[in-house]
Amino acid sequence: MRILRLMLTGWVFTMKTNLRSGFMILTAVIQPVIFASIAFFMFQAGQRSGTLLYAAIGAGLMGIWSTTLFSSGGSLQWWRWQGFLEPLVASPAPFALVLLPATLANATYGMYALGMTLAWGKLAFGIPLTFAHPWLFAVAVPATILSLGLLGFFLASSFVLYRHANALSNMLEYPVWLVTGVLVPLSLLPGWVRPIGWLLAPTWGVRAIRDSALGGDPLPAIGMTLGLGAVYLALGAIFLTYFMRLARERATLSLT
Amino acid sequence: MTSLRIFTIGGAIAYRALFNWVSPWIYIPTLLGGPIFQILFFSYLGRYSGFEDDAFFVVGNGVQICAMTSVYGATMAIANERWFGTLSALLATPASRFALFLGRAVPFIVNGIFVSTFGLVLGWALLDFSPALSSLPALALVLLVTVSSCTAFGLLLGSIGLRARDVFFASNLAYFLMLLFCGVNIPLSDLPGWMGAIGRVLPVTHGIEAARGVAAGEGLGDVATPLLAELGIGAACAVAAYGLFRFFEADSRRRASLETV
Amino acid sequence: MYASVGSRLVDVIEAVDLHRTYRTATGVFRRRAVEVAAVRGVSFSIGRGELFGLLGPNGAGKTTTIKMLITLLLPTSGSARVLGYDVVRDAREVRKRIGFVFGGDRGLYERLSALDNLRYFAELYGVPPREQRSRIAELLALVGLTGRENEKVEGYSRGMRQRLHIARGLLHDPSVLFLDEPTIGVDPVGARDLRATIASLVKAGKTILLTTHYMFEADALCDRIAVINKGQIIAEGTPADLKGIVADRTVIEIEAFGASEEAIGRLRRIPGVSSLSVEERDQAQLVLVQSARGHELSRELVAHLDGARVGRVVVREPTLEDAYVALVTER
Repeated sequence: MRILRLMLTGWVFTMKTNLRSGFMILTAVIQPVIFASIAFFMFQAGQRSGTLLYAAIGAGLMGIWSTTLFSSGGSLQWWRWQGFLEPLVASPAPFALVLLPATLANATYGMYALGMTLAWGKLAFGIPLTFAHPWLFAVAVPATILSLGLLGFFLASSFVLYRHANALSNMLEYPVWLVTGVLVPLSLLPGWVRPIGWLLAPTWGVRAIRDSALGGDPLPAIGMTLGLGAVYLALGAIFLTYFMRLARERATLSLT
Repeated sequence: MTSLRIFTIGGAIAYRALFNWVSPWIYIPTLLGGPIFQILFFSYLGRYSGFEDDAFFVVGNGVQICAMTSVYGATMAIANERWFGTLSALLATPASRFALFLGRAVPFIVNGIFVSTFGLVLGWALLDFSPALSSLPALALVLLVTVSSCTAFGLLLGSIGLRARDVFFASNLAYFLMLLFCGVNIPLSDLPGWMGAIGRVLPVTHGIEAARGVAAGEGLGDVATPLLAELGIGAACAVAAYGLFRFFEADSRRRASLETV
Repeated sequence: MYASVGSRLVDVIEAVDLHRTYRTATGVFRRRAVEVAAVRGVSFSIGRGELFGLLGPNGAGKTTTIKMLITLLLPTSGSARVLGYDVVRDAREVRKRIGFVFGGDRGLYERLSALDNLRYFAELYGVPPREQRSRIAELLALVGLTGRENEKVEGYSRGMRQRLHIARGLLHDPSVLFLDEPTIGVDPVGARDLRATIASLVKAGKTILLTTHYMFEADALCDRIAVINKGQIIAEGTPADLKGIVADRTVIEIEAFGASEEAIGRLRRIPGVSSLSVEERDQAQLVLVQSARGHELSRELVAHLDGARVGRVVVREPTLEDAYVALVTER
């Protein structure tokens, strides 16, 4: 029970902090809308104006990944700069239970991204928002966000040791968008790329959301998403324990 | 003589002091890694969209990625003085403000050219982009002009950042809007009129247009109009940036408005 | 007008009726403009080779006055000249010839080493390239940072930063120096070395304006002192002159434990008490009473402190600090 309360507190606190952060607004709202617009214009200029909903969903997923990515590295970095990291680690609560709700909240914040791209698509580009399986859509979205949050947790636990986590985050945005096929179909990429994508939650998440919106069978994808999420949780917890110890040995917790 | 040294050596030292991304662990992922994938992403998206060829996207994004260092970096080079509290120490010296201010641009211009060249080379290696060898000198010139203009824009944001809050938010926003408005991935003719109009007064737009022409084999004479437009925009940004800097300096002496000591 | 060569004692720093007002806005909802007069008519002159002290409580206007003299702030009215150059019209000439040390945690490039910080400012101050290396090495030795100059400033302690600030102020060998609390944050041994350095700089012919809270420092180093309070100079003279203000007084120091506000108030009203100040120490209060009456008063004072335990009672000669307290509290 205490664990749940701890997690809920952490989640709420991170959400509140994020709502006030200009940077998060940029990442979760402005960036996805701009990328969605770029995709809409490109599809209109090319031969693909029938698939604007596809583009809206893709841009939304891109946004969820961005918020997850930047906040996993960014939260830690921010905690470091503010001098929070050391007190958090020294507190009696296991650090995993401090980090987990933060990364989950960050992924939740990504819902804004999906909401915004869909709303923007409808308002500015007149995309009809009819979903093939609305109920499954309502399941696919939270499932995706959950697994993405857990992926963020896994990443953050790897970043505990690495001072320049932010820089690596900067580099992982576009590659993951490509490899998970959220906007550019995987069929266009070389074959060897696909297995990499299968290990990443957004690949299945976008498939689940797309199938429930545009028609198809989202259930296997939902299953894969949640399954991967469990794997991330386990790996993240193991890494975190190990890396926390290393960080304390090497005295890297306090450096900015 | 002193002013020249302030411009060159001073500029290089200020680069190391104020640019947040000097360490190779940060530089490589942020300025080289990420941008390469940006080129790949939009080129593939272009293939999927079914319009324009790889060259369009490689040149567009390859030139635009200089903005990472030019816009962000040049903003940091000025606005970070506020972060470190070194502004008053600077302003109390007899150093020429001109040399001091504009000397900071040079390392970023060099940086930007390097980043864009790297991107274009990788675009040539990995995608369907093969400009003729004879077009390379002209392309280099276009790149120089465009990167300089972008850096001037960054300096302008940096000057604004001496007084305004959240200038880094603004520079991030500018970066994204440039992706949309500047013809990087969508020809201006396919954008609504007002977007194209904004794009035409921003740096990079005309430079990309000139670069695409040159890469396709046109001569410098054919791209003179966009090239000169880019030069003009850059000059205007530089003048505004320097003017604003001097204005804030004078104003801070009158009203103690800058965070000096 | 201009500082000329010759044996005449020339005013190196001249402040004439300096005024500086700040306009700030108060309140959150209805913002009212408030004018704060930080400096209200400050005048003084400092001759070549003088070490001039500017003393005053926090908020008295010391820093504002210095900022005007080093050209970072324009006076609202009045004028000032340094080495004959007007601080408003000839700012650049002034900047070439003065150095200043403000200290503090900020004001240095954290990501650079001390050496790089000094190199950068050497360029900005126009130190000839040929001399830069030797000058920097000299200064590092002077402030005791040799051997640590290649470390990044972000790892420096407070005292080390202070010393680096001082080294920077001396880079271009200015003939006039403005030092704002130069020994604050420096350990006692280091501070003693710094004071010796300051004294030697004066001996070498530099003119120095110094602010400090350490009275013994002002007493030992300064040729002349001005006391500033609430934007105005309330006293000026040599340390001996200022001590003379309280020369006819005795100072009685009473160590008290648990003296109430009321008791202190009673003490103030005893006839013969010229000034009374209370310093809070950890468990005790140190009550400092200045009076012309001397020994006899101490018994009366102790008697009035009933309810509190009294420790040591010392009767002594007044110091510069007592003069300062008298000046600042009795106006």
